[in-house]
Amino acid sequence: MSGTRPVQRLAERLIRSACGRLPADERAERLREWTAELHAILDDESLRPSWLRGLRALAFCAGISRAARQLSRLAPASPRPAGSSRWRSGALRTGPNDMAVRVAVGIGVYAVVVAGVIAVLTTHPDPRGWPFLLLVALGIGFDGYCLADIARASQVRYLPKWAWALICLTQTPAGGIAYLCAGRVGRTPSAPPGPARQP
Amino acid sequence: MKLTGPLERVLRVLVADPAAQHYGYDLMKAARLPSGTLYPMLARLQQDGLVDSEWEEQRPDAGGRPPRKYYRLTAEGARVARLELARAPAARGPSRHVAGRPAHGMPGSAT
Repeated sequence: MSGTRPVQRLAERLIRSACGRLPADERAERLREWTAELHAILDDESLRPSWLRGLRALAFCAGISRAARQLSRLAPASPRPAGSSRWRSGALRTGPNDMAVRVAVGIGVYAVVVAGVIAVLTTHPDPRGWPFLLLVALGIGFDGYCLADIARASQVRYLPKWAWALICLTQTPAGGIAYLCAGRVGRTPSAPPGPARQP
Repeated sequence: MKLTGPLERVLRVLVADPAAQHYGYDLMKAARLPSGTLYPMLARLQQDGLVDSEWEEQRPDAGGRPPRKYYRLTAEGARVARLELARAPAARGPSRHVAGRPAHGMPGSAT
């Protein structure tokens, strides 16, 4: 059992971070429930050898992370805060649970994009050639995607919506990547949860 | 309610003993489902009033383990589950022995 302690700490952290995605009123209860399940897994004598329990616990946490994302979509859409419109809404301030990961992913994606653009422009320097036009089209498409995503989102993080939209438009690849990595909250429920359907 | 494979497995476990209390890990093992599938499904069933949950009472002999959350079919849930399972296509993998069983005890199945 000596190997379970670090696993348990890691797993509890993962569960806590997953619970951060849930609506505030569900968070505490889910955290209690899933922590209890974690204990049940780590105490499961039928899983042998004991490192299998640790593995199972981590698989459980990966599932919890997916489940939390789905549950946050399942929650009834909260009414828009007063004074918020399509482009103006209060920025959602939540604890940056996985901020380091988001920043790292954002920087990585940005580096790849910049490297790609440089590679294309050095091999095809002609501004009227199709590689150049393709880059411009991709940039416009990406901006459009980000703007559409901001407009659809019910809430965004750290900055108000109009600020994210401005950043996306002015800093073409970087702003959009920054928004997707840091400002995006996840998909909003596209349809209200249907009432119980009778078979 | 659309009866998908995972949902069918969960309902079979729950219907097998409608009075039994199941906690999440228990259901995961019995229905062979990952947590990422099970919890959203339970939440949906709960939202539709087919499943309810309650917290285990803290017993002094529990050895300090945290209380679990137990899930159970509601009366309506048991009715709907039996109905749906009885209607499930018989040819769905190895669990066909249950599908052949006539749905039992369904008052008001005309809904």
